Amino acid sequence: MLPVGERINYDCYILFPNHHEGLRLHKELKAVGIKCTIAPPPRAATSFCGISLLVAEDLIEPARQVIDRCGVKIEGIARIPREASTSGGK
Amino acid sequence: MADYRKMWTDLGMDLEKHDLLCEALPGAFGEVFLSQENRPEGMDYFNFVVAEIHGVRPAELVEHKKKGGKVFGTFCVYVPDEVIIAAGAIATGLCGGSQFWVPDGERVLPANTCPLIKASVGARLGRTCPFFRLADVYIGETTCDGKKKAWEILQQEVPVHVMDLPQMKRERDIAAWAGEVRLLMNRVEEVTGNRVTPETLAESIKQINHKRKALARLYNARKSSPVPISGRDALLVSQIAFYDDPARFSAQVNALCDELDERISKGEGVFPSDAPRIMVTGTPMAIPNWKLHHIIETCGAPVVVEETCTGVRYFENFVDESKVDLDGQVQALAERYMRINCACFTPNTGRIDDILRLVKEYKADGVIDCSLQFCTLYSTESHLVQQALKKAGIPVMHLETDYSEQDTGQIRTRVQAFLEMLRK
Ligand code: SF4
Ligand code: SF4
Repeated sequence: MLPVGERINYDCYILFPNHHEGLRLHKELKAVGIKCTIAPPPRAATSFCGISLLVAEDLIEPARQVIDRCGVKIEGIARIPREASTSGGK
Repeated sequence: MADYRKMWTDLGMDLEKHDLLCEALPGAFGEVFLSQENRPEGMDYFNFVVAEIHGVRPAELVEHKKKGGKVFGTFCVYVPDEVIIAAGAIATGLCGGSQFWVPDGERVLPANTCPLIKASVGARLGRTCPFFRLADVYIGETTCDGKKKAWEILQQEVPVHVMDLPQMKRERDIAAWAGEVRLLMNRVEEVTGNRVTPETLAESIKQINHKRKALARLYNARKSSPVPISGRDALLVSQIAFYDDPARFSAQVNALCDELDERISKGEGVFPSDAPRIMVTGTPMAIPNWKLHHIIETCGAPVVVEETCTGVRYFENFVDESKVDLDGQVQALAERYMRINCACFTPNTGRIDDILRLVKEYKADGVIDCSLQFCTLYSTESHLVQQALKKAGIPVMHLETDYSEQDTGQIRTRVQAFLEMLRK
């Protein structure tokens, strides 16, 4: 439980049609210094196995610009409260 | 997301059940790995392998098989991958580390069987792991009683070649193991239709030694204080070693190590340098068994080394590369593998020597000796392990656990008490 008034942090998971697109964006983001982590997409986002890129909420706008510039195909961005995304909702 | 359903269907998997497994992975992975602060960026590759564990690598094996290649599944670090690779085949680890597979194993095995065996048999019978479906032949060994009997059950499903592992380490036993390596070579040649030549074997010996060197480099980095990588991350790398393409894996481990070297030179770590350093010894931790490491590290202490088969037993000692004929190479393989110290040997004093040496090398403050439930070999050997550590003045704690979450709270309490004692 979060204490009342504490700000909830969100994680953003960028979802892809296949891992090739995911790895491509991973490389592009790293090249411009946007921190991202390869992760299985959380349950709340999709039920398929595969990769997603975990990006902090405040970096998602710059990440979007990279996505547009490079033409990487994505399947969406899931915004998930941090607690739930790294604890599996337990 | 990537849809591997067609591949899984073609492999005869139970998709509905498999979906449940896929659903559980992200939560578990997030909790254990993504919740860590300041993970090395080089871990991204290993995150990728886990996220795609039933996708990318199985698809590579499918491609290999389409071209007429064969896949051999192994369950023990005594089985020499070199021989399999030298015949142009792929070797893949098949050990089950998830509670998910246990009930399917219990359908045919006594409940008081070790979870590693139950999960491995269950992964095959429940049709929920592509690797267990892809292997053309399983390579078993006569290590523990539970496994010996499990081969007979698995044999009804898939051809199993059993290697007769000696249980002592006299000259004649090493010679006997060399004979078994030869028999494996014959079987692999027969299944693949390819000959193993001194040239192909020399090549695969080099390749696997290269992988061992990369892992040795990773473990070497863990000797630093503060430790530049968590035990959980290092364990994950070790677990992936059993599945991944050896050359790609070694390159990625080396890239990770470059980053760790940089951290070491800057004095950067993932735990404070005064946190108690823990060594784990005991039974293997097959993927995705991260339970003990997660408990220890979330109690504030890094695991700095594992004296297990998903740790140093996997990569220590190299195969002599100087031999140029098959007889010499087989002997060199037998000698290297017989230097692994598993509790199925008697006596097994080499393991105690290793534990005492590793405590020094990795500057461990305490040892957690952990056996999987119902593993008679490691539980019994624990008496001598604890005795030797106590005699050397090294704090030790023994635990027995399985893959379930039932005892997590209880283990956490015991680990906390142990760490409290170390901090005093
Ligand atoms: S613990 Fe023994 S039987 Fe199990 S994988 Fe290791 S060497 Fe093989
Ligand atoms: S942990 Fe023990 S009982 Fe289980 S497979 Fe290994 S040696 Fe056998």
